[in-house]
Amino acid sequence: MDFDDILSAARQELRRGTVVLACLLVLRTPGYGYALLEELRGLGFAVDANTLYPLLRRLETQRMLVSEWNTQETRPRKFYRTSPEGERLAAELLADWGQVDASVRSLGQGGHP
Amino acid sequence: MSDLTDRYVWAVLRAVPGDQRAGLEPEIRALVADAIEAHGEAESADAGERAALTELGDPDALAARYIGRPRYLIGPELYPTWRRLVGLILPIVVATAIVATVGAAWLGGQPSNRLVGTAVTAGINVAVQLLFWFTLAFAVLERAGHPSFGEQWSPDRLPELPRPSAPSVVEIALSVTGLVIGVLALVWQQDARPITIDGQSYPLLDGSLWSLWIPWFLAVVGLQCGLTLLRWARGGWTVPLATANLALNVAFLIPVLKLGQDGRLFDPGLVAALGRHGMTSALYPATVVIAVMAVVGTAWDVTNAFRQARRGRRPDETASPAA
Repeated sequence: MDFDDILSAARQELRRGTVVLACLLVLRTPGYGYALLEELRGLGFAVDANTLYPLLRRLETQRMLVSEWNTQETRPRKFYRTSPEGERLAAELLADWGQVDASVRSLGQGGHP
Repeated sequence: MSDLTDRYVWAVLRAVPGDQRAGLEPEIRALVADAIEAHGEAESADAGERAALTELGDPDALAARYIGRPRYLIGPELYPTWRRLVGLILPIVVATAIVATVGAAWLGGQPSNRLVGTAVTAGINVAVQLLFWFTLAFAVLERAGHPSFGEQWSPDRLPELPRPSAPSVVEIALSVTGLVIGVLALVWQQDARPITIDGQSYPLLDGSLWSLWIPWFLAVVGLQCGLTLLRWARGGWTVPLATANLALNVAFLIPVLKLGQDGRLFDPGLVAALGRHGMTSALYPATVVIAVMAVVGTAWDVTNAFRQARRGRRPDETASPAA
């Protein structure tokens, strides 16, 4: 295993847990599955289609997302939107993210929190 | 949408409980269509469809993720329990099955040279069956939910450090091999009649013993095999094991001594033939010497087991509270 493999594995691990938060934040403006997938990938989240779609459905059953079928366009598409509950979850996770960021930065600069 | 998409959607839906299918079908079709559209801009329609389905991946995996079913047989919470139980039960059951099957085959008159094959077959069969059913039961538990079954680990469960007196694998293997050779020798001497006097061959032991006493001895030896394996599993002698050892030794020695005293141990033909050569007088002292050696050997074995069991105890078990 050379360095690049190790890096990509570690990077994937590092970002995996942030996919839920990223979904909740992106879906403040309604979006459908494939567009969300493309957007997350564009932002550098290594997420697979067969992980993301079941995740969206789970968040929906947990009422963090609400969905609506859009039939205005050529094909029906299921649009997801972050619910008020989802906003609350996102806010909590975002605060956590800030803490983790601060801790890691302070460690990186050789200090101890 | 073509045949390929329909097949993909069907493959996902068949792995999903019926009540969720209706809700899931339009969703998956929309996902596939979007993916095809995105790929189709750069590629031909067929290639786009293929690329889209490849991206979505194995339909069974997708379905499993949708319904949150575990994608493994036994998960990390049950696996340690599975391993511990298999490690504990498998050796005992396989050893018991081998002893029982071989004993039965041999009482049924199977030639001794085929008993090894019987033993190997029985061992493999039982091991495979046990592993299969055990694993199946755990796989069901994994899916049925196991709120209280995943045993809580506590420091009490830590294994003991190996004791200085812990038997090595070689020692255990030698013990078991010795017992097995003893069994085979017992069968062999009856079968091969190894003692030849005046052109007539005799077995060493009285053939009438087969109706009761030799099977009894074989059962005792089989239990001794089990005890040896148990001793290995426990990392040495413990007081219960040493007690069982005492019982098994007594169960072996007392009948041998009694049979020897009654003159029922050796083949009557052999005794008569020795008598014709004036050797009956030698037979008696020889028997006494062997009997004394057996008693002394057994006594040493039994006391040694108890001594090691006591020494092997942890200090907190032996220490008496200071008055």
